[in-house]
Amino acid sequence: MIISTNWLSEYVSLPESTDALVERLLLSGLNHESTQSVGNDTAIDLEVTSNRPDCLGHIGVAREVAVLFGCPLHIPEPHPQEVGAESAANIAVEILSPEICPHYTARVIRGVRVGPSPQWLVDRLTTVGIASVNNVVDITNYVMFECGQPLHAFDLAKIRGGRISVRRAVAGESFTAINHKTYALTAGMGVIADAERPVALAGVMGGAGTEIAAATTDILLESAQFAPLTVRAAARGLVLASASSYRFERVPDPAAVAWASRRAAAMIAEIAGGQIARGTVEAGRLAVSPATIQLRPDRVAEVLGIDIPIERQQAILIGLGFVAEPGGTDRSRWQAPTWRRDCGREIDLVEEIARIEGYDRVPENEPIAARPVTESARERTLHRATEVLVAAGFCEAMTRSVVGASLEALASPWGDVSPLVCAPPLVRGADRLRRTLLPSLLEARAANVAIGAQQPDLFETARGYLPRPAAAPDAASPVEEPLLVSFVMGGGFAAAKGLAEAVLERLGLGGSATNEPHVVFRQGHLDLFATGRAAEIVLERPGQPAERIGVVGEVAATVLTNFGLNVGAKGAVVAAELRLDRLEFAVDLERPRSRPSDFPAVERDVNLIVDQTVPWGDVAAAIRGSAGGLLEECRLVQVWTDAERLGAGKKSFVVSLRLRSSEGTLAGEDANRTVDAVVASCGRQCGAVLRA
Amino acid sequence: MDCRSRLRSRSAVTEPTGRDKAAAAKAAPAVQAVTIDSFIAELAAFRAAASETLGGVAGAAGLEQARIEFLGARSGRLKAIQKLLSGLASADRPAGGRHFNEAKGAVNALFAAVQDTLAGAGAGSAAAADAIDVTLPGEPLRLGHVHPITQTIRRVQEIMARLGFESVDGPEVEDQWHNFEALAIPAEHPARDPLDNFYLAVARGADPLLLRSQTSTVQIRVMENRRPPLRIVSLGRVYRPDTADATHYPMFHQVEGLLIEPGTTMAHLKSVLRQLASSFLGGDVHVRFRPSFFPFTEPSVEFDMEWGGRWIEMGGAGMVDPAVLAAVGYDPEEVSGFAFGLGVERIAARRYGVADIRDFYRNDVRFLRQF
Repeated sequence: MIISTNWLSEYVSLPESTDALVERLLLSGLNHESTQSVGNDTAIDLEVTSNRPDCLGHIGVAREVAVLFGCPLHIPEPHPQEVGAESAANIAVEILSPEICPHYTARVIRGVRVGPSPQWLVDRLTTVGIASVNNVVDITNYVMFECGQPLHAFDLAKIRGGRISVRRAVAGESFTAINHKTYALTAGMGVIADAERPVALAGVMGGAGTEIAAATTDILLESAQFAPLTVRAAARGLVLASASSYRFERVPDPAAVAWASRRAAAMIAEIAGGQIARGTVEAGRLAVSPATIQLRPDRVAEVLGIDIPIERQQAILIGLGFVAEPGGTDRSRWQAPTWRRDCGREIDLVEEIARIEGYDRVPENEPIAARPVTESARERTLHRATEVLVAAGFCEAMTRSVVGASLEALASPWGDVSPLVCAPPLVRGADRLRRTLLPSLLEARAANVAIGAQQPDLFETARGYLPRPAAAPDAASPVEEPLLVSFVMGGGFAAAKGLAEAVLERLGLGGSATNEPHVVFRQGHLDLFATGRAAEIVLERPGQPAERIGVVGEVAATVLTNFGLNVGAKGAVVAAELRLDRLEFAVDLERPRSRPSDFPAVERDVNLIVDQTVPWGDVAAAIRGSAGGLLEECRLVQVWTDAERLGAGKKSFVVSLRLRSSEGTLAGEDANRTVDAVVASCGRQCGAVLRA
Repeated sequence: MDCRSRLRSRSAVTEPTGRDKAAAAKAAPAVQAVTIDSFIAELAAFRAAASETLGGVAGAAGLEQARIEFLGARSGRLKAIQKLLSGLASADRPAGGRHFNEAKGAVNALFAAVQDTLAGAGAGSAAAADAIDVTLPGEPLRLGHVHPITQTIRRVQEIMARLGFESVDGPEVEDQWHNFEALAIPAEHPARDPLDNFYLAVARGADPLLLRSQTSTVQIRVMENRRPPLRIVSLGRVYRPDTADATHYPMFHQVEGLLIEPGTTMAHLKSVLRQLASSFLGGDVHVRFRPSFFPFTEPSVEFDMEWGGRWIEMGGAGMVDPAVLAAVGYDPEEVSGFAFGLGVERIAARRYGVADIRDFYRNDVRFLRQF
């Protein structure tokens, strides 16, 4: 809302300094956007919140200034000189859809001379950013910017059939607005129609067919109330927002309908001549039923934490137009003015008193009692996973939760249910709520590679979105939102697996004992990954079914090609994703800590020959299952194949075992016994033979 | 091999080693008897001679010659004196060992000092051969980086935790009740317009679902399940259909605080925000309230913080509207509270001097590595 200071000073005397004025308005709820000189006037652009339609006119702002600076407010009282026939003799008005228009008034003015506006009127409209059209149109705009009530003037001679109907448009109707563009109306939009056609889009814009022109002599002046949602839907639907629709969407003072009509009629008669017909033609009725609001004397202090004398509280309310209900002596019951529909409760009165008194009075050193806080398992899980990936040199990415269909379809590690679709799209072409972060990170990697950024290894922690089946229990949210951590990096499978293991270890799942929660890697498949070069990570907990909590693998060459990441020399791209929401329990697991042994360790290497098909995991399990308490570490040193030396279809695992006792220096015989047991066990379970 | 380290490797001997004894026994089956006094005199002569010789050494060759003469492992003079040890009466041997070690240590130290002196003098010739070009690059250690948005969120979380506020989380896909109705946003409110929200194509019964437009939804969920007193910070992604530009993005992050305790006033709100501002920005920062309008708070304010002599808009705040308290089953006559919200991108952009918030979502590692 742009305010002209010349105009404003007609209702209230302004402080000498414009800066002081805007500062005070800023601190009482009218945000200052800008101040500009326009001729000998000053334009102040104020941001008006949607609950304050009264401040979309100069009088409303003048009322704020009057109460803030303690000076009187002068509101003109219009007295149109009505002569001759009744307005009703010229026009009939009916409201066919009262839900879009509770109150409609029309007034007839005959014999006007349409022409240019006087300079003062042109100047004021110029200051508030409105171009002058002609004296009649300018006056309707002037009154709107004065009191916040939009008006419209029709050329009475062009209204067909002597009738105004307020109704909803029917499908197929079209309408040419005063901007001379034609709009196809959709059924349900509110229109003002004559006997034949729409002549205005209700509350939004008048029509070209009935606009005020140089030849116009008789005017129909509309002042009405329109339902905010209908106005908003039409203005947005046709992309035809106007100063009028802006105000109707925020519901102007219902009592201003009559005042604005009188004010505009009087000004038209004075400036453009003509005779104002008697009375107005009305349909519907003015619905104003101010509530009575109780204000308890202590309430202001209880909410604000400061004392404001009761006399000051009352003066503020009276200055804003509130009326103390007669009868009571303590002035504790109030009626809100018709222009303050936002005030209906005690707390609203407290806010009015607070903002006029000024929040600068509220102290900023009121202590609150100390209270202990614990970090949730979810937070700690998230932080630990992040810690490991940052330590590994990764950058944290933030990609969009909503992606395009083709990107989304690349992978779905957590179930085959179709992704959710939103409207409008988040950005163009992106309307799928992703079920995994992996494709987004690949896309981010591709963008980095394209620009030549080095080592663009990225991770992200965010949610996926998995719709639950319709049959899911009612209590559950209809959408599951797994908390995921994903990373994409250059390198081989082992690098990604090692990093995934490091994250899991930091989360408390580093162990392999089957009587404790632990994870195992199993051959797995995901569309995103190359066949045979991916694993699923399975959580096993005693007494609970095994559960897939992660995937890791080498990204398939076809996928890399789509992203332009298939440059052979750059090597493979590997990726992993873990469901952190399923791992939160682990950060709270109680683990006994032990003092490391001070006795020396014995290292023994064994070279085990097995069939090519035997996975290392089986051999490792056989070793761990048979080595007993002396085994400190079992490390795979090398895997090699050599048809000549080992035989066809065979491979060798070179394993380094570190043995140590907590009770004494390990004797060679003890170490030998353990190694013999390990070799025997690997032989039984995996067909392993010790290479001499 | 460096001579000094060879010497040091044998310097801890207090008694001749087993091998030395065996070697000595093989070479001289009959041990010659020696008195402790003559042994000490031997040592003194050895120290004096070594000192004189080493003092006159002028180059590496002379030094090596002196080393062989006095400290040589096979036929050095020290070695010869060591052999005399076994000729001492057994009662004198500990004292003899002490004197031997003392003399040996002193000559070794002198040798090392002379060697250091010669090495210093020869810098630029022999020593330069294995000198390091210290301007060569170090082996790079790649450091990872937490996203600036996450860093900003964590910082606010940490500060609020010190003030007793616990971080909470909730769903991003929300229903009408939590995103609107419980927050006093009725059906006809423009904020519910389909064009201003990301509604999902699926509904739960008749209730359309949407991506949450504010994290206040989490506050409602917590209030529904817990009784006051309550101090929480809800944070996370929120979604509004804004066209992306330098200051808007359709997906962004909010941090919202909520305190519900009997007797809470706006003075508590202002004080908590001042502490947040002071901790976040450093120093004693002041807070300013400007009246505003939000459906779920009353009174509602925008809060500014003084930063570099200017007031900077930080977010919205207010006392929780009694209608919101009632909607979650609290009695507005019994408890009151305040709420505030910060746009994370905005304060991160300001803190780090980022002119375009879209940069936060480009995931360019060259950008991310600056934080």
